[in-house]
Amino acid sequence: MRPPVRARRRTLLRAAAAGAAALAAGCSGGSRSVQVAVVWSTSELDRFREVVAGYPGRVQVVSAGNDIDAFLRARHLAGTSPDVAILPRPGLVTEYAQRGWLSPVRASTEYAVPAGLGELLTAEGQRYGVWVKAAHKSLVWHLPSMLPVQPADWDALVRRTQELAALAQRDGGPAPLAIGAADGWVLTDWFENVLADVAPESYNALARPDADWQGRPVRDALDRLAGLWSINGAFVGGGRRALLTQYEESVIQVVHTKRAVMLVGADFTADVADPFQRGPEAPVTFRFPGTQPGGGPLIVGGDAAVAFADARGGVELVEWLTRADSFQPWLRAGGYLSPNTNVTIGSYRDAVSQRLAEEMRTPRTLRFDLSDQLPGAFTGSDGVGIWRIMQGFFADVTDGVRASEAIRRATGLLAAAARSAGGGR
Amino acid sequence: MSQVRVLGELAVLDDVGPARRGRAYPAAGATSALLLPAAVLLGGLVLWPVLRTMHASVTTDGRWVGAAHFRTALAAPGTGAVVGRTILWALLVPAVVTALGYLLAAASRRSQEGGLVRLILLVPVALPLVVTGVTFRLMYDPDPSRGLATLVATRLTGRSVEDAPQLLGPGTVTVALMSAFVWAWVGLAVLVFRSALDAVPPSLADAVRAYGGGRRHVLWDAQWRPLLLRTTAVVFALVAVGTSRTFDLILVMTPGSVRDEASVLALRIWQTSGGTTTGDGAALGVVWLVAVIGGIMVAALFVRQAWPPPRVEAAAEPAPAAPPRRVFRLLAAGAAIAWLVPMAVLVATSAHGRVDAAARGWWSTAPNVESYRNLVTGTELWRTLGFTLLLATAVTATVLVVALLAAYPLAWLTGPAAQATGLLLLAASVVPIQVIAGPVNEVLGLVLSSGTAQGLALVHIALGVPFAVLVLRNAFADLPVEQVRDARLGGRRWWHTLRRLARHNLSAVVAVSVLEFVQVWNDLVVGRLFSASGASPLGPFLAEQTRSFVSNSGALAASSVLASVLPVVLVVLSRRHLVAGLVSGGVR
Repeated sequence: MRPPVRARRRTLLRAAAAGAAALAAGCSGGSRSVQVAVVWSTSELDRFREVVAGYPGRVQVVSAGNDIDAFLRARHLAGTSPDVAILPRPGLVTEYAQRGWLSPVRASTEYAVPAGLGELLTAEGQRYGVWVKAAHKSLVWHLPSMLPVQPADWDALVRRTQELAALAQRDGGPAPLAIGAADGWVLTDWFENVLADVAPESYNALARPDADWQGRPVRDALDRLAGLWSINGAFVGGGRRALLTQYEESVIQVVHTKRAVMLVGADFTADVADPFQRGPEAPVTFRFPGTQPGGGPLIVGGDAAVAFADARGGVELVEWLTRADSFQPWLRAGGYLSPNTNVTIGSYRDAVSQRLAEEMRTPRTLRFDLSDQLPGAFTGSDGVGIWRIMQGFFADVTDGVRASEAIRRATGLLAAAARSAGGGR
Repeated sequence: MSQVRVLGELAVLDDVGPARRGRAYPAAGATSALLLPAAVLLGGLVLWPVLRTMHASVTTDGRWVGAAHFRTALAAPGTGAVVGRTILWALLVPAVVTALGYLLAAASRRSQEGGLVRLILLVPVALPLVVTGVTFRLMYDPDPSRGLATLVATRLTGRSVEDAPQLLGPGTVTVALMSAFVWAWVGLAVLVFRSALDAVPPSLADAVRAYGGGRRHVLWDAQWRPLLLRTTAVVFALVAVGTSRTFDLILVMTPGSVRDEASVLALRIWQTSGGTTTGDGAALGVVWLVAVIGGIMVAALFVRQAWPPPRVEAAAEPAPAAPPRRVFRLLAAGAAIAWLVPMAVLVATSAHGRVDAAARGWWSTAPNVESYRNLVTGTELWRTLGFTLLLATAVTATVLVVALLAAYPLAWLTGPAAQATGLLLLAASVVPIQVIAGPVNEVLGLVLSSGTAQGLALVHIALGVPFAVLVLRNAFADLPVEQVRDARLGGRRWWHTLRRLARHNLSAVVAVSVLEFVQVWNDLVVGRLFSASGASPLGPFLAEQTRSFVSNSGALAASSVLASVLPVVLVVLSRRHLVAGLVSGGVR
């Protein structure tokens, strides 16, 4: 009796193993495909899927959701890292590279990015990532009918804000500014634009480990911000209300309900503005104003592709992504800015994105999003790091705290956060 | 037990109830093997991760660092406030829920509309906490032209629209969160109190009155001392443990700028560690774990009872007693209406398209089906619902089988061994997943890849098993001697016996199944920490959309409504089994 029983058990075990293998194969789709983890979701995810559909091999795109860092750390622990990941911050690329998680990557011959960007993705002289998507973060949006004359420089912006605020308080007109202060990155984008203008030379130093967060440049930038933010009536519903306003709601306040005139936002603001546009009037943009007319340095953000160590087919896919024509489907659909200067301006869909792409190619004026380069938790997320500190500063200056006091508090917190994240003096 | 009840007898029942199940049926050696699946799951995915977390809290890369992590974690700015807020949640919210639950249970008894009132209060219990969060964020929207509660508060305080009170602002955000939590949990307290009140024999009250006792004495001697003290302890403990779920509410309801003002330990640990193990996160986790398990042990002391549990005589059909006074009935009706308002707000918002829902209040434009049409014609919601249905069904079935197998031999234990297993299971069922997420991920990486649907299901199963075993074990032990004997004689093998016994315990089996299914369906945090690639369960799917709350509110409300249908229907249909199953087992 025994042997048959055992044989049957073995058959069962085999069947179970085969079933599990089939299930695993089913998940990855037969022959092995290259797995890519991305931060995008919804329409951006669909666009990226269209992009990789043009890749000769099979590609599986996984959306890692809001916190791709946590996702990848957990996957690494479990030994199931994807082959390729698109990371939203260059800080993550160097961090992973130093931990030995990444494999060096190659770029195709058609890959060229503005000076200063490529270095952000290298560690110990090796290239560990390539830029695949860029964001233009130095824009102010408004409806043409609400603001006939665009402020040329920072002082003009302050004056215009004061006039509009006084008007709003007297006859209940629209507030001068909408701001999604509930999302910390909105405030860091403001800060970076001002900082790059008041101290273009010191900007990049703040991303380095020995950064001085209590020095003159940071204090000057915060002081300039405080001057504008503390104007009575500057924001829809006041400062406390602005801190509960998310970025997308602030866009609606400008393009739909017209309760505010201007909004500082990146090029992707168009994605929100489109569905909420009322009537034929589309919002237009001008450059974030600086000391000189024409604005200060341009702040850009971006997403970088990396290949994990012992990935299969990862390096090849990353190389393919750097070709000038890989992102054509997304360029045609709109809502995409390429970091690659070999992508012809003509391939952008409309005049606005063509102008933005041109601006990004102007030499020596680019600064990369500072908060995205900061180490560890300092880089910020909801309730954490520089996001939280800038929200505290915003709350202070809109609540009547003296600028000097608010700056003292903010720089103290910034320095402490930098230290505990392993940087700063 | 004697048929004649006298005053005081029930009060001492707990300690002197006669043993009624045969101890002449010791567990056969072979049946102990049935514990194996449950033991492997709990050992690998609960016990080892707990030990690993403790280890991580006192070491760095394997080096002993003593209390260094505890000092860093507790000295981090704001930690004191976070701990204080966690304690406030664990004390204040259960107190409010318990008091409201008792009041409403008493007020809705024996009246015609009482059943309807209890039904309305029960619906929020079944909703995913994410949906509760969405509902209350809609109510508390800072713009009085959209948020109903803000509009009412503006009118009441006589302020201008521009200066509307900010209910989600830093000062009141915790109160706003607590109100949502109380809304969601009171129904459960009412359910438990009602069955406790029904179990109090009316003869007891008569006896008190016969000795000249007034209303106060009836409450004290005929309700509080014999039964309600323990029920209160149970409800309080249940809700206190439940407050660790505030995580979901905070994530959904608070904009980033007030997250610090609302933060509790669950959130702080998640912010520190995510799905990995870090020393500081582990230290906070250990603090929290000790508090939760210590608290539940103290509560267990309150509710301890003779094992095996004494038999409660089937109460005679209660004599038609007078309904509660009119003012109490009005209170119950008022509560029912108040509880309906948030649900109405959710449904009304879902009946508006993207632009209407974002730009103005749901009361100012005519309803349409745009949001529903977009959802139903898209594929994403269907994929999510299908995946969640599959996941919840598979997890429920597995938990049920594993727990039945384990409960069977455990029910034969007596004395200290029985008490010890009871306490261990209780402790295992309250371990917060955020505390052990990192080590669980490591285990999953060893046995199968983490970030797969199977891994996600495995975590759900391991978390569901302890409570299921506890309820089923108690239910098995509750069975009368004759039924056990019949089953033993009638069943040729142990599984025949098990099947016959399970049939006698239908309520407990239904209760465990429904609770497990709803738990998985409604989950956010497990899905968030262990989500599979490609397929996202419902909770994370909804929570992800709250990142841009206002511009998404129409679609978000509509998917919330669709996501809530199944759990609400299940809980409402099985509510009698839920009470019977839990009261005969876990709760009593």
